[in-house]
Amino acid sequence: MGRYHYVFPRWSNALMPALCVMGTVVPLYVALVVAYGFSPQTTDVGYQPVQPVPFSHKIHAGELGIDCRYCHNTVEYAAKAAVPPTQTCFNCHTQIHKESDKLEPLWESYETGQPMQWVRVHDLPDFVYFNHAAHVTRGVSCVECHGRIDRMEVVYQHERLSMGWCLSCHRHPDTHLRDPKLVTDLGWSFDKQPDALARFGSQSEYHDFWRTHNSLNPSQDCSTCHR
Amino acid sequence: MPSVDHPPSAEPSGKAYWRSLDELADTPQFREFLHREFPAGAAEMLDSSERRNFLRIMGASLALAGFGLSGCRRWPKEQIAPFAHRPPGRVPGTTQFYATSMELAGVGSGLLITSYDGRPVKIEGNPQHPINRGATDALAQASVLEMYDPDRSRFVRRGGQRSTWGDFEAWAQPHFSALRNAGGSGLHILSEATASPSVRDMKARLSKAFPRATWHEYEPINNDHELAGSVLAFGSPYRAHHVFDRADVIVSLDSDFLLAHPAAVKNTREFVRGRRADNRDKSMNRLYVFESGYSLTGANADHRLAVRSADVAVVAARIAYRLAGQGNAKLSQALRQFTGASISTTLADSKVDELLDQLASDLAEHRGRSIVMAGPRQPAEVHLLVHLINEQLGNVGKTVSYTPLPDQPGHVASITSLAKDMAAGKVQTLVILGGNPVYNAPADLHFANRLESVKTTIHLSLYEDETSKQCTWHLLRAHYLESWGDTRAYDGTMTLGQPLIEPLFGGRSPIELLAIIIGDELTQGYDIVRRTFAQSTGVSDLGAAAGGWRRALHDGFLAGSADTSQSPTVRRDDLPGHADRLWSGWSPADGKSIELVFAQDTCVYDGRFANNGWLQELPDPLTKLTWDNAVLMSPSAAKRLRLDTGDMVRLRHGVREVEAAVCVMPGQHAGSVTLALGYGRRGIGRIAEGAGFDFYPLRTTDSMGFASGASIQRIDGSYELVQTQEHHAVDSMGGKGTQERLPTIFREANLDEYKEHPEFAKHRAHIVHRLSLWEEKTLQGAEYAWGMSIDLTACTGCSACVVACQAENNIPIVGKDQVKRGREMHWIRVDRYFKGNDPETPQAVAMQPVPCMHCENAPCEQVCPVAATIHDKDGLNVMVYNRCIGTRYCSNNCPYKVRRFNYFDYQKRVPVREGGLMHVKPSYYTRPQSDVDPLLQMQFNPEVTVRSRGVMEKCTYCVQRISAAKIKAKNEWVRTKPADRPGRVTVPDDEITTACAQACPAEAIVFGDLNDPASRVGALHKHPRTYAMLEEINTKPRTKYLAKLRNPAPALAPAAGSPSHVEAPPHG
Repeated sequence: MGRYHYVFPRWSNALMPALCVMGTVVPLYVALVVAYGFSPQTTDVGYQPVQPVPFSHKIHAGELGIDCRYCHNTVEYAAKAAVPPTQTCFNCHTQIHKESDKLEPLWESYETGQPMQWVRVHDLPDFVYFNHAAHVTRGVSCVECHGRIDRMEVVYQHERLSMGWCLSCHRHPDTHLRDPKLVTDLGWSFDKQPDALARFGSQSEYHDFWRTHNSLNPSQDCSTCHR
Repeated sequence: MPSVDHPPSAEPSGKAYWRSLDELADTPQFREFLHREFPAGAAEMLDSSERRNFLRIMGASLALAGFGLSGCRRWPKEQIAPFAHRPPGRVPGTTQFYATSMELAGVGSGLLITSYDGRPVKIEGNPQHPINRGATDALAQASVLEMYDPDRSRFVRRGGQRSTWGDFEAWAQPHFSALRNAGGSGLHILSEATASPSVRDMKARLSKAFPRATWHEYEPINNDHELAGSVLAFGSPYRAHHVFDRADVIVSLDSDFLLAHPAAVKNTREFVRGRRADNRDKSMNRLYVFESGYSLTGANADHRLAVRSADVAVVAARIAYRLAGQGNAKLSQALRQFTGASISTTLADSKVDELLDQLASDLAEHRGRSIVMAGPRQPAEVHLLVHLINEQLGNVGKTVSYTPLPDQPGHVASITSLAKDMAAGKVQTLVILGGNPVYNAPADLHFANRLESVKTTIHLSLYEDETSKQCTWHLLRAHYLESWGDTRAYDGTMTLGQPLIEPLFGGRSPIELLAIIIGDELTQGYDIVRRTFAQSTGVSDLGAAAGGWRRALHDGFLAGSADTSQSPTVRRDDLPGHADRLWSGWSPADGKSIELVFAQDTCVYDGRFANNGWLQELPDPLTKLTWDNAVLMSPSAAKRLRLDTGDMVRLRHGVREVEAAVCVMPGQHAGSVTLALGYGRRGIGRIAEGAGFDFYPLRTTDSMGFASGASIQRIDGSYELVQTQEHHAVDSMGGKGTQERLPTIFREANLDEYKEHPEFAKHRAHIVHRLSLWEEKTLQGAEYAWGMSIDLTACTGCSACVVACQAENNIPIVGKDQVKRGREMHWIRVDRYFKGNDPETPQAVAMQPVPCMHCENAPCEQVCPVAATIHDKDGLNVMVYNRCIGTRYCSNNCPYKVRRFNYFDYQKRVPVREGGLMHVKPSYYTRPQSDVDPLLQMQFNPEVTVRSRGVMEKCTYCVQRISAAKIKAKNEWVRTKPADRPGRVTVPDDEITTACAQACPAEAIVFGDLNDPASRVGALHKHPRTYAMLEEINTKPRTKYLAKLRNPAPALAPAAGSPSHVEAPPHG
């Protein structure tokens, strides 16, 4: 009796293969979970914070067709596409919907001079220096990074905005380029441009033209974005 | 045989160049420095005795590490707060520039402030201002940090209790109207020196409202002697102006015109322009300096003689005897007294007469093209002689001119009369406008004691300082970046000051305080300045454009408002009498006593910048001392007293004594010690606390410049002085390498040799590159090729570049304890070498700024295991902070030692003077004390990453400025019509410069695009004087130097520093 006390039971023979299976599956699973769970695709894309005023880009930029630069008017000249001052809202809203409750915080800001506290959606790390003007003036459309803002009721992050994502475009910019005059046309597509269709044989010819025309050779140096 | 040749052997015996006395003597301490990449202890976090404690702490923090993760949120939620009403022309996230002025000791300078989203972040010289012309000194560069200093006074205090401006006004109204009813008797105002027209105007209003009130002015570093000298010479006070670029021979009698001078920025620019020898006949000026201890001017001299400060008078008299004595028998007779061999000092040496003969003949040959000037320490009679010599040489109206300086009081006389009135009980109410007399008034006035007898004292100051603590009312002052003001530049140009930000703590300016006292109808600084402007321009209309107000405000100064210069003649009536008085006032050195020489400190000025971390950590250009001052003593005197650097001594002058540490300083005269003022302050802030020694207690009304007859005595104890001179010693091939290579690292020649061999610099080293160690980078075809040129002939060593770089690039200060371990973070350092074999009288001083060289074959890149330092296609050696894992291999492999490692999150720590667990809490080492102080955070340049602990950093060639300039140029190019576009997008010279180059008053640093055929740097890299440091190791640096030229008189010239061509030693 006593000496069998130390013998493993028969079912324990199954432990070894089970451990082997676990040993391969679990690390793989963990690696996958980490890779997926910590990727910007998971953590960042779709980030959609609640804003102090339910401003709808869908209505303003989409249905009403207000140009992006009406509000974000520094985008062609400065690194930042500044969020507009409260004043800009009241260029129209002193006439339209001026009784709306939704405008209450804006009225308060307008009268007290205290800024609105919007929540930043597209937030690059502090060691990254992105310049809007450098991209917009060379024909990189807003839509390339921000998605179809004109269809968003509440703005969310559409792209990963990770370094690999930035570099993919810096390495192969062609398909992301267009006539700089059309950068704010978020619904733009080559097929819908009669004059472009008439002038260029194919879409790639079109992109090539604009790349050469603006002498584009996007830098992949670290110092381009990190200082 | 393919090889990198060895450097040439230097002079066979002795050392041509040395950094410090330890190095010259080759002491074990210095050898230890050479063995390490960073100085001893730099690699260890703590002293070994503390290691056990440290492990314990680390164990605890590891155990807690798991709790640090705050879930899977992205990064902290950020808010965007746009303007409610955006001001017109304002673009968020871009810089704006405003012209303003900073006044120091009654002289204004014109500045251009960079403002980022409403925060002033960087200071440059105003490019249009006649004095600054775009350049600044280190003090102006650092003044932005002063505004954000968290230790600044934040509250009005009454009797030490917290109060408010409202309380003060409520109290002041009845108090001053009672005084007004009494005609103002008992009211005294003590102001710091100021040239502000508004203050002058308020002063006039004050004397109208309070006819019996008295106005005093005091500045510890003042021009009393200069003014007294001009009164002796011309009968009324004048200020002398010098045009250095028109002078061929310059004689400085104890005058540090390159640093300790109100127009030092202009002086430096013009002095250097006269020295580049790039004109057709390759001529340059020659500088003779007579002084007791090394000043920056002395360090740039072609001939320098160390004499006691008292003996400078003898030198002046002997020069005057040689030049001005003729034709005036009596004066000649009086001056003759100084020439006799009876003078038993260093001056009896025949070599001195040789030097003076040469000097006199040089001056005589360059009539109308020379300058003789005396320093503020020298007595009035010396200034008189200088005026006389300049007049005799026909310099007046050519290189020297004068502007009258009316109603400028004698500062010592002024504060003495105040002290007398206080002692006599005549002072009822004393208003102190700026300044800190309790700390820095002459010691024999016992200002602090007498202040106690005054019933009501009001002190307006930036800090709650020594004076504030003794006053009834402490009022917080608005910084110059927070207030409206006006001033006059050295040439009299009316320079306006405008606020860049609302007062952070609610301070007010002196004119606003005066308005309260007078009960002026105007209370706002803007209105007062505006009124003065209208008066001075004679336009009564206050409209924005009236009298050119808007133009002047935009430019920062009123064009054409400089004083008109005059050419007064020296009164001859009592010249021999003055000479006699100079003689009778002079006493020879007795060999036993020692002379105390009081000097303005390079970093903290008179003490007012003592709480400025950038300036405290800035190494003094000559001593390389940081965070302290010391008694500077010559090696022979130190040997005689058996003293070494760090030993404590007691200085006694009459009944006054001070205990302080000694720093042995080459080139100091054995009969005198130099004492920098401004240290030893207590209780004003965390930075100033405990820094250095206060020498003001030795300074009396009759010895403001220097004091003879003092004694010095060794006492027990020692004090740790930290000098950066041996840090980052360029150690190439073992200990000997440094020495042997120095003649090739710092290349220089005398003017004669340069004329004969313009390419001398290339032949200082014998270099053959036949094979490279690794595959070389090809940077051909790049759009831009950034490069830098540093002219060693121009660089005076003033160190403005170091502070400018610190401000631009968010470089932290580390504290004395960390500097001691060699962890200072400055991206650009100024190496200082002494030349010659005699530590007592070095032949010359060599100053060499060393930033990252941006080597095309960068050794650092070869050893980084994670590719954190790599090249970009424009030739920048970039540092990728996020990749860096802190191996420090790169720094180990950097031959120039320009890489800096973040041992701690320095931005999040208050720097400590003494480190180790004995002095600071363990948490200081293990975790950040706090977040970055929000005030200091406001100063950060948002265009530059703030580096965290554990990463390497170094000069980036101001990559943020490069990016901004490139984007601007390219955007403009894209917007241009295709037909009008130039073939290549260029960034011309006037669109891009680095912070160091922009600040440099000597225009020594030039930065630009080597690919641009029009760039200055491209031309300079082809200049015959150009060489690359350590080019023999084939690093191909993008930063190159222009060799130093000196211009000693050929008759007196010592052999040139190093042989013109040295053969490479044979090697295996």
